[in-house]
Amino acid sequence: MDMIFLILSFFAIAGAVGMVLAHQPVHSALSLILTIIALAGLFALLSASFLFMVQIIVYAGAVITLFIFIIMFLNVKEANLPKEPNKNITIFLGFIGLLPLNFLILKALYHMPSKALVLSQNGFGEIKSLGMELFEKWLLPFELISILLLVALIGAVVFGRKEEG
Amino acid sequence: MASSLFSYFVVAMVLLSIGLVGVFSRKNIFVIYMSIELMLSAVNLIFVALSNYYHSMASQIIAMMVIAIAAAEAALFLSLIVVLYRRKKTLDSDMYKALSQKETL
Repeated sequence: MDMIFLILSFFAIAGAVGMVLAHQPVHSALSLILTIIALAGLFALLSASFLFMVQIIVYAGAVITLFIFIIMFLNVKEANLPKEPNKNITIFLGFIGLLPLNFLILKALYHMPSKALVLSQNGFGEIKSLGMELFEKWLLPFELISILLLVALIGAVVFGRKEEG
Repeated sequence: MASSLFSYFVVAMVLLSIGLVGVFSRKNIFVIYMSIELMLSAVNLIFVALSNYYHSMASQIIAMMVIAIAAAEAALFLSLIVVLYRRKKTLDSDMYKALSQKETL
């Protein structure tokens, strides 16, 4: 289990680094898919089997695929991509600048209680327990999310209209 | 034991930092958006790890809602990118300054 965790987190971090470093947006999107699927594997390792499926279906299946579709639909030429001659230097400086923050977080995390996380039995994280929790205690947020999705849909249609004049 | 709560938090921290660096240092609007998605996923990982730690379903529900919000955000952001690209013919985020300066669209 430790080995699986290490491999999955390696792939997640490698995909994230590739996403930040890639020049072409399509390469970034493909790296992000690697990260998303590795994170889905981590969810499965944490016995969140329903979220594992949701992550793969919604994120990798819908969001990133829509993303790659838009990139191909725009058909961006090399001349229209932003020129970033100092890209690697700014990324390096960004990492240097974030190091103190990360040290601070690590120091805080070190004093936190921690225990080994194991796969749990008796249906924890499966669709039944998640549905019971969702419709018993989280009904109002669930309905608000549906309204939010409707608003996003209308907003996307308004943005996508042909502009007059 | 490598897969403790601490190590999950470290992985989430690294992913969040990479996303933050991507937002800071890239100009390509697609990469900026993907970095935001990466940060949302890192926070999701924290929620799911805490759900296992406390053996409670509540944080898995929150993680699922974050995924739904990310999907809504994707729809809006991508249509916004399409409109911006039609007007400016570039993906450079430095060129989108209609709100900061007096300039004809």
